[in-house]
Amino acid sequence: MSRSLLRTISIPIAAVVFGLVIGAILILTQNASPGTAYKALLVGGAGDSDAVLRTLQKATPLIFGGLAVAFAFKAGMFNIGGQGQLLVGAVFAAGVGFGIDGLPLVIHLPVALLAGGIAGAVWGGIAGTLKATTGAHEVIVTIMLNFVAGNLTDWLAANPWKDNSGSNIVARTPLVEDSAVIPTFGAVPVGFLLAVITAITCWMILERTTFGFEVKSVGNNRHAADYAGIRVGRIMALTMAVAGLLAGLGGAVESLGVDGRFEAGVNVGLGFEGITIALLARANPLGVVPAALLVGLMEAGAARMQFKAGVAPELIDVIQALILFFVAAPIILRWVLRMRHDASEQLQLGAGWGRS
Amino acid sequence: MTSMWRRFLALLMVFGLLTAACGSDSDSSSSSGSESGSSSSAEEEAPAEEEPVEEFKIGLVTDTGKVDDKAFNQSAWEGALAGAAQIEGATTDYIETEESKDYANNIQLFLDDGASVIITVGFGLGEATIEAAQANPDVLFIGVDQFQGEAIPNLAGLVFEEAKSGFLAGALAGMLTKTNIVGAVLGTDLVPPVVFFKEGWENGAKYTNPDVQTISTYHPGGLDVAFGDPEWGATTARQALDQGADIIFGAGGATGNGALIEVATEEGALCVGVDWDQWGTVPEAHPCLVTSAMKDIVKGVADLLVAAKAGTLTGGNFLGDVDIAPYHDFESMVTDEMRATIEEVRAGLADGSINPMPE
Repeated sequence: MSRSLLRTISIPIAAVVFGLVIGAILILTQNASPGTAYKALLVGGAGDSDAVLRTLQKATPLIFGGLAVAFAFKAGMFNIGGQGQLLVGAVFAAGVGFGIDGLPLVIHLPVALLAGGIAGAVWGGIAGTLKATTGAHEVIVTIMLNFVAGNLTDWLAANPWKDNSGSNIVARTPLVEDSAVIPTFGAVPVGFLLAVITAITCWMILERTTFGFEVKSVGNNRHAADYAGIRVGRIMALTMAVAGLLAGLGGAVESLGVDGRFEAGVNVGLGFEGITIALLARANPLGVVPAALLVGLMEAGAARMQFKAGVAPELIDVIQALILFFVAAPIILRWVLRMRHDASEQLQLGAGWGRS
Repeated sequence: MTSMWRRFLALLMVFGLLTAACGSDSDSSSSSGSESGSSSSAEEEAPAEEEPVEEFKIGLVTDTGKVDDKAFNQSAWEGALAGAAQIEGATTDYIETEESKDYANNIQLFLDDGASVIITVGFGLGEATIEAAQANPDVLFIGVDQFQGEAIPNLAGLVFEEAKSGFLAGALAGMLTKTNIVGAVLGTDLVPPVVFFKEGWENGAKYTNPDVQTISTYHPGGLDVAFGDPEWGATTARQALDQGADIIFGAGGATGNGALIEVATEEGALCVGVDWDQWGTVPEAHPCLVTSAMKDIVKGVADLLVAAKAGTLTGGNFLGDVDIAPYHDFESMVTDEMRATIEEVRAGLADGSINPMPE
C-alpha cells in the first residue's frame, strides 16, 4: 500500500473505530453488552450466506446512491435529489419489467434497467439544466423534485400501474416478468456486481477521460474552467444527468433485483443515504463501495442485534452519524492521532454555495 | 507517521478490551427488549430446563414503527404481554422493523429461535406472514389487521370492522355538533382501514343528523409521510374549524394526533381519537377528546394467544371487537337520549340492520 493511499483511508477507518467505540459506550448505558451486540451485528450481516446476501442487497442501492452524490460533488454540485431520481428509476424499470412480455432475458432486463436509468437521468438533468440556464440552485431544485417524484411514483403505483390481481389493495405494480428479474448467484446478487462495475466505471470516467477532467475542472474553479474554454453550463447539466442516471439505476436494481416490483413507500430514504455514503467515501467513487458495504452490513445486522442483545436498532443510525461526524470533522481525529494537516485530503463540497 | 499508528493501535486495543470484557456474558438468553414494557420478559427468563412447564415463546414483529408508538404497534405488544400473562411458561420478545424490506428476515429470526407463536403487526406484513406460515406449518401465526383471503391452518388474521367503529363515533358526533358541520383529518386513502373509518364516520353522522355537512381530508402524501405529519394534521384541522366544523375526527397516526392537539386549543370544539382510547395516549387532547373510535387490538391479540396455547387456534379471519371509548370528562355532555341512540346504533350494527358502508 502506498503512503498516499494510507493517508487517504486513515481518516475514514479511524472514524469507524471511533464511532464503534462510542457506540459501545452507548450500548453499556442501555445495560447491554457491546461484545454481544457487535457479535450479533456481525453474525446478522455476514454470519452465513443469507446474511451476506442481505448485506450485499442493502449495499447495492447505497453504492448507486452514493455514486450519484459523489459524481455531482466532483463538479462542485450537491445532489440532494438522489431519492427522487431513485424513485422514478424504480417505478419506470418496474413499468417496463411488467408491462412488456415475450422478450428474452438478454433483451428485456437491459431494457428495463435502461428505462430506470434514463428516467433518473431526466430527473437529475432537469435540475442540472435549470442550474445551467437560469442559475437555479441544484440543492433547492433537487429537494423539490424529490417531492414531485414521490407523489408521481405513488400515483403511478396506485392508479394506472396498480396491481389488480387477487385481493390486492396496496399501491404497487404487478410483479415484473421473469425475463426482467436480476438473478442471484448463491449469496451474490448480480445487482451488486453491476454496482461495483458502475463504481469502477465512474472512477475511470473521472480520472481517465476528457469529460471527467472537465467535470473536475468545473468543480475546482468554475471561472477558470470557463476561461479555459470548457462549456461550464453543459458540463453541469450533463453531470446532474449522469448523477440522476446512477441513482435511477439504483432504483431499477432495487425493483428488478430485490422487490420484484415497485411498491409505494418501500424505497423511502434509500436515496438520502447516498449522501452519507458519498461523504464517508470522501466523494471517491471507489471508496463508495466499502462505505456502502459497511453501512449495508450494519443495517442487515441491526435486527439481530436488537433480538440477541436487546439494543435498539436506532443505535446503528447513531453510530453512522458519529462516523459521518468524524469524517466531516477530521480535525478531531487528526488531533487525537497527531496527524499532520494535509491540504490534499481536504474535501471539496458544493463549490456552488454562495455563488450563482 | 509511526506515532500516529501507535495511537491508532492503542485505540484499537482499548476497543478490543471493552468489547471482550463485556462479551463474556454470552448471547444465549439475553433477549429482553430494551424499551418500555419489556420488564415482563426479564422476569420470565428462567431457564427452560428447570421449569416443569413447557416454554411457550411468543415473538412479535412490528410494522415500520416502534412498540411504544402510542398506537397500533404498542397495542399489539400490550396484547402480547396480556396474553402471555395468562399462559404459564410464556416468554415474549419483539423486533422492531426498520425497513419494510426486512419483514421476512425479522420473522425468520423468531423462527430460527424456535418461537411457538409469531405475531406480525400490520397490513404491510401480510404477504411475508402468509409465506412464513406456509413454509412453517408447525408454528402458529397471528396477523394483526391482515385479512385472510384463503384460510391457512396455522395463520389467524385478526381483523376489525373499522366502518362500524367510525359509524358509532360519527353517530355521536352528529348529535353533538351545534354547527351541523363535522370534520375528519385522515391518513392516506392508500390504506383501506383509514377509508373504512372515514366512510363509517360520515355515514354515522348522517344517520343521527341528516342535515350534517362533512369535511373530510386525506393526507395528500405517500405512505412514508401520511401517518407522520402532525403539522399537516394541525393545519388541516384548523381549516376545518375555520369552515365551521365543531367536532373533528383525527384518524392517521401522528397526523391525526396533530389534529386532535390543534382542536384542543379551540374553545368549545370537540375531537375524536382513533384505534384505541386516546385519552391515555394523547393527554394534550384532553380539553376536546369526547371519545375514540376503537378497535380492541389488545384484547384480540391476547385472546388469540390463549387460544393458541390451548390448541384451539384455527386459520382464517377473527373479528376483533370495535366500539367507542368512554367519554371521560365529557360524560355530562352526552345526554341520556344520546346514550340511548348510541345503544340503538350499536345494536343495529351488531345485528346487521344498519350497514355502516352502503355503496
